[in-house]
Amino acid sequence: MTPTALFAAAPLPLLQNGLMVGAILFSLGLVGILTRRNLIVMFLSAELMLQGISVSLVAWSRYHGDFGGQVLVIFVLSVAACEAAVALVFVLQAFTRTGRLDSAAWQSLREASLARSVDHEIPAIDAPLPVFPRLTPAGVSPETDADAALQREHV
Amino acid sequence: MSPSFLLVLVPLLPLVAAIVTVLAGRRLGSRAHLPAVAGIAAAAAVAFVLLVITARSSGGGEQPRPVDMVTTLWQWATVSDAYAPPADSPAAVPGTAVGVDAHAARPFSIAVALRLDPLTATMLMIITGVGLLVAIYSIGYMHDDPGYPRFFALVAMFVFSMSMLVAASNFLLVYVFWEAVGACSYLLIGFWFQKPEAARAAKKAFLVNRVGDFGLAIGVFLLWLTYGTLDFHDTLSPDGTILPGILGQTRLADVSGYVGGAVGTAICLLLLLAACGKSAQLPLHVWLPDAMEGPTPASALIHAATMVTAGIYLIARSAPLYMACPGALVTVSIVGTTTALVAALIGTVQNDLKRVLAYSTISQLGYMFASLGTGTLLGFTAAIFHLLTHAFFKALLFLGAGSVMHSMGGVIDMRRFGGLRKLMPITAATFLIGSLALAGVAPFAGFFSKDEILASLHQKGWPSAHGEHGEHHAFMPTLPDAATAGPTLHDVGYRGVADHGEHTLHTAEPVGLDALDSPGVWQTLFWMALVTAGLTAFYTFRAVFMTFTGPLRVPDEAGHHAHESPQVMTLPLIILAVPATLAGLVLFTTEGLSSFLAATPSFTAPAVAATAAPAVFHWDLALQGTLAAALGIVIAAVGHLGRRSDGPQLERWLGPVRPFLENRMFIDQLYTAVVIKPVEAVAYLAAMFDRSIIDRLVQGVARLPVSVGNLVRRLQSGLVQRYALAGVVGVLAIIVLLAWRL
Repeated sequence: MTPTALFAAAPLPLLQNGLMVGAILFSLGLVGILTRRNLIVMFLSAELMLQGISVSLVAWSRYHGDFGGQVLVIFVLSVAACEAAVALVFVLQAFTRTGRLDSAAWQSLREASLARSVDHEIPAIDAPLPVFPRLTPAGVSPETDADAALQREHV
Repeated sequence: MSPSFLLVLVPLLPLVAAIVTVLAGRRLGSRAHLPAVAGIAAAAAVAFVLLVITARSSGGGEQPRPVDMVTTLWQWATVSDAYAPPADSPAAVPGTAVGVDAHAARPFSIAVALRLDPLTATMLMIITGVGLLVAIYSIGYMHDDPGYPRFFALVAMFVFSMSMLVAASNFLLVYVFWEAVGACSYLLIGFWFQKPEAARAAKKAFLVNRVGDFGLAIGVFLLWLTYGTLDFHDTLSPDGTILPGILGQTRLADVSGYVGGAVGTAICLLLLLAACGKSAQLPLHVWLPDAMEGPTPASALIHAATMVTAGIYLIARSAPLYMACPGALVTVSIVGTTTALVAALIGTVQNDLKRVLAYSTISQLGYMFASLGTGTLLGFTAAIFHLLTHAFFKALLFLGAGSVMHSMGGVIDMRRFGGLRKLMPITAATFLIGSLALAGVAPFAGFFSKDEILASLHQKGWPSAHGEHGEHHAFMPTLPDAATAGPTLHDVGYRGVADHGEHTLHTAEPVGLDALDSPGVWQTLFWMALVTAGLTAFYTFRAVFMTFTGPLRVPDEAGHHAHESPQVMTLPLIILAVPATLAGLVLFTTEGLSSFLAATPSFTAPAVAATAAPAVFHWDLALQGTLAAALGIVIAAVGHLGRRSDGPQLERWLGPVRPFLENRMFIDQLYTAVVIKPVEAVAYLAAMFDRSIIDRLVQGVARLPVSVGNLVRRLQSGLVQRYALAGVVGVLAIIVLLAWRL
């Protein structure tokens, strides 16, 4: 049974568009998490999947004229914020241990008899880096505060 | 202190000593002998007091009063209505069940009960006395041995077990301690278990003894079936009637108290099998010579003086059972005499001093069996008499051999040393005394006991030469005088077959073995025993001459040890030399031992007591025995006196017989071929079956999950993306499945 509508239900095309955007976001996130090895990018991809779901929730909420879906999205957002804090700590720790952000650096949990997975081909970048145009410096250089500069280096 | 308390003390003190030595042995270090020596010494003192108490209460005199004090410590097992005999069991056939209501259920009750009677008191004195001297001697012999505390713990444990064996008043307890002394013997033979020969000898002794123990177990079962009790003594049942024990006064007083025929003979032969195992009689004697791998004091205590006499004790104790079965009795004699002769023959060509003594032990034990088998009071007491004197002089000889071995740096082959009489005068003198006693030279101890044994055999072979007593057959005892016989089974309100007046016991079918009980057989046994006496003198003095006479020669191994042994070792030798010299003379002339032993309940059975003969010194027998001994000594002197011990052997004229004897008549080889090899073949087959079929099956079962696991283990790659992919695939599969089903 449909809950009591607190606002007017949206028409069907809005739902379809919303779901499509959600599905696209989810799929991009999925592809990202399966193909990228950078821990931060993988985490971003996971967030992307989460947001895809959130978008479809909002779309369904509009379609049914019910706040339930949107409440859930707010809840998901707050959880995602906490999760981001925790996950970034993990990533940071992983980085300080190995000096790399590659998830393949952590494959020692595999079965003992299996060989380590090694990258045989590193995509070569043959093309020379493009030369970007540089702007001529103008104005005066800002006054630098020695203490502030010192602190910044430590951030 | 009451006798029963003292009786408990005799086994208890060595047991406490053993436990203390086990617990505190390492801390005591070189003083680890203290608990054992003190415990055994105290036990010996108590045993002496008991001996005096028993002698006082038996009172001596013409009609020995049975002395039988039983102390029940606690009830070990009680099962009421334990067994209702089936209709066809021996117990239900009239005339075979004695003291048991044929159809009543019987209570099975085993009490931990000790008894004091002359036989037990004598045995206790021998065990603790020799045990004490051996323990003192071991202080010197075993010094610096890494297993010093272990040795004394085992010796104390052995004295405990052996005391319990001879004091137990119940066949089941006898069985328990029969095994316990066997275990102590096993541990002491294998004392130097690092030596493969010692470990093998220990195993051999244990396994050969097991054959005999099997006989004892079956014999005890059969006793229970036949007599409905395993107690020696009479017990009072809750309803006030007396339950006659197997060797209790009630049954002993009744002429029809014992089962003859096939059942009785089977019991006796099974007990004989047990005795053959423990006392190293043919065909189970093979373990004793090998047992010499153990420390010499252990050989002296266990394998010469005490444990090996357990078989003699068992048969002497069961004398009334045997009296009902003349066939079994004569078998005992035949086994004993044959063993005596065979062991003496093998002993003549042995070059290992301890092995000579081992074969001599087997031979002398054979003498005792021969004497027991005569089934006369003279025979039984002569066997115990010889047991006593043998314990003294054989312990003396073994300790002397140990002294020689100690100073020769462990060498015991007589061809490698000689002329030691100047080097170790005390050992030589005491060894000579022991040898004179063993050879049966008057007036040393062995002469008198051996003479009594020969007399008992002679009495059976030529009954007419010994007056009227030869006329009775063992299984036809004279009815005792009603006034002296004491209560019969009827008088004590005993219920059962006897109530129907069916005294058909001794009309039980005679068995085939009984036919052997003829004068011709006994005459043959007498001559065999006489020849053995000569051989005994020969091999004993061959050993004496090879070891102590001739030019002095000492093996290289002796090193700084080549001198007389320390005082702690020579003192027991000197002490033992005294009874080895005098015990026979004193006990024979005073008749102290035989009249003392006659008060043992087992020997007061009418069947035994009726054979009592006035003690007569048989000059003709003594002369024959002495002549045989003298002949043996002369031949030994011709061959070995004053010669180099590695010189040409006198025995070389034996020709083809010599290798036969040197290989111990190929009995070991026979056992190897007949018993060991087939068993090994079966064991090999079983091992092959186990390894190739059972193990393969089990391993096949184990390999299945491994191979399945190998298939899926590749999934565990450690790459996060793979796991994520697996998750995605799984979710897709679930979605597809749901979509399809919906």
